[in-house]
Amino acid sequence: MVAYLAAVGIVALIYMLLTIGLNLQYGYTGLINFGVVAFFGIGAYASALLTLAGWPLLPAFLVAIGVAGIAAYPIGLLSLRLSDDYLAVVTLGFSEVVRLLIQQEQWLTKGVQGLPGIPRVFGSLGVGEYADLATLGVLVLCNGAAVALMVHLVRSPYGRLIQAIRDDEVAVEAIGKDPRRYKVQVFMLGAGLAGLAGAFYAHFITYLSPEQFLPLVTFYVWIAMIIGGTGRTSGAVAGSLILMVFLEGSRFARDWIPGVSEVQMASVRLAIVGLALILFTLYRPQGLMGRRS
Amino acid sequence: MLSANGISKSFDGFKVLDDVSFVVQRRGLTGIVGTNGAGKSTLFAVVSGQLGADHGQVWFDDADISALSPARRARRGLGRTFQVPREFAHLTVRENFLVAAQRDYGETLRSVFIGWGRVAREERTIGERADRWIEFLNLRAVAGNAAGDLSGGQKKLLELGRMLMLEPQCILLDEPFAGVNPVLVNEISTRIRELNERHGIAFVIIEHHLEALKALARHLYVMDQGRVIAEGEPAAVLAQPRVLEAYMGGVI
Repeated sequence: MVAYLAAVGIVALIYMLLTIGLNLQYGYTGLINFGVVAFFGIGAYASALLTLAGWPLLPAFLVAIGVAGIAAYPIGLLSLRLSDDYLAVVTLGFSEVVRLLIQQEQWLTKGVQGLPGIPRVFGSLGVGEYADLATLGVLVLCNGAAVALMVHLVRSPYGRLIQAIRDDEVAVEAIGKDPRRYKVQVFMLGAGLAGLAGAFYAHFITYLSPEQFLPLVTFYVWIAMIIGGTGRTSGAVAGSLILMVFLEGSRFARDWIPGVSEVQMASVRLAIVGLALILFTLYRPQGLMGRRS
Repeated sequence: MLSANGISKSFDGFKVLDDVSFVVQRRGLTGIVGTNGAGKSTLFAVVSGQLGADHGQVWFDDADISALSPARRARRGLGRTFQVPREFAHLTVRENFLVAAQRDYGETLRSVFIGWGRVAREERTIGERADRWIEFLNLRAVAGNAAGDLSGGQKKLLELGRMLMLEPQCILLDEPFAGVNPVLVNEISTRIRELNERHGIAFVIIEHHLEALKALARHLYVMDQGRVIAEGEPAAVLAQPRVLEAYMGGVI
C-alpha cells in the first residue's frame, strides 16, 4: 500500500510541476499552450539519454530543464505573431511533431521500441519503497520551490507586468512596454518546469516510448489547472491533486461497478475526468481556489 | 511639438484619412471633433503607432517618429488613452498605476531572483508617485479595488493616471467624456486643465461632447469624411456654416 501511494504521489507531483508551469503561461500571462507534453517529453528524453550515456543524474536533470526551455524559444517567438486560437493550434501541432520525431529518429530514441533501463532516482536504495519515498521527498521539495518562486514572481513587478499582458496587450504597449520579451521568457520558464517534470517521469517509470507523450497529457494538465483555479498557484497545486484522485480513484471504482473490464475501465476513467471538468465549469467556473470575478 | 503631416490611410480602397495634417504646440490643448466615421480614431491610431499610414509622417519633439512602435512612442513621452477603456482589469487600481511607471531594473526577469533590495527601493519611489496621482484623480477610495470593477468614468480617470505615470509631454485622449456622468465630466475637465496649466502637459482630445470641449480646448480641428475641413479658435470654428453643415447637419 505504501508503495502504491508513493507511486501515485510521485505521478501527482509530476503533474503538479506541469500545472504550475502551465498556470504561469496561461493563468498569469494568457499564453495558450496546448503543447505542454512536448516540453515534458523533451525533458524526459534528454535526461534519459544522457544518463544512459553515463551522465550522473543531477547534471542530466539540469540539462533536461535547459533543453526544454530552449526548445520553447522558437515557439515563444511564434507566439508573438499569432493570436490566441492560432497559438493553441500551433503548440498542439508542435507537440505532435515532437512525438513523431521521437518515433522516427530511431538512431537516437529507439523509436517505438522505446528506451528501457533508465536509471532510477535513488537507485542505490534498491527497487523497494525507500527509493520511491526519497523521490517523493525530492519532488515535494521541487514543487515547494516552484510554488515559492511563483508566489514571489507574481507579487514582484515582473509578475505584475505579465498579468497586465494577460489583461490587455495593447494597453501594455501604450504604457511604453514591449510584451514580446516577457512572453518568450514566460514560455521558456514554463517549459523548463515541464522539462524538470519530464526528467522525474523518465527516471521514475524507467522506460520511455513515444506513445507516453500523446496530447492527452497536455489536456490532463489543462484540466488540473481549470479545476484548481486558473491564475492561482494554489489552484495548480490543488487541481493536480484532485486530478490524481479522479484518475486513480476511478481504478477502485471498478470494484463496485460489476462487469467492467480493465480496458473498458480506461474509457470510464476518461469519462469521469471529463464529467468532473464539466461539473466544475458549470458550478465553480473560477475553480476550487479561484476568486469570484 | 506634435504634428501630423499629410496623413493618408485607406482600408480596402476606402480612404479613411485623406491628407490630414495637424499641429499641437508645446503645452497646447487641442481638440479634434467630427462625426462618427470622420476618421478621428484612425488618426489617433496612426499618431500613436498602432496603425501605419499609407502616406505622411508623424513628428514629435523635432523627430520623425513614423517608424517607431507604439511602446517606443510612449517611452518618448507621447501617451494615449482609449475610447473604450483598456484597464488591466484583474490588477488593482494602484497596480495599474505602478505597472505604468518606467523603471530600470524591477521588471527584468533577473530582478525576480536577485537584487530584491533594489526592487523594493524602486517600488517605494514609484509607489509615492502613484499615490500622489491617485490622490489628484480622486481615486484613493477605490485604489485597492480591481480595476475591472470601476465605473466608466473612473476607468477614464485611471487611464489618464496610468499615462501620468509615464511622465509624458503630450497625451492623446480618445473621447474622455464618452459614457461618463455629468459630474465626472466636470471633474475630468478640471483635471485636464490643471495638468495642462501646472504641469505643462499638452493634450489632444477627440470628443463628441462639444460643450465640454469648447470650454476646454484652445485650438480646434474639425474633421469630416477623412479630411480636416476647419481649424482655429473653438467658438469661431464651430460657428462656421461649413462646420455646422458637416458636423451637425446644420443643428447645434
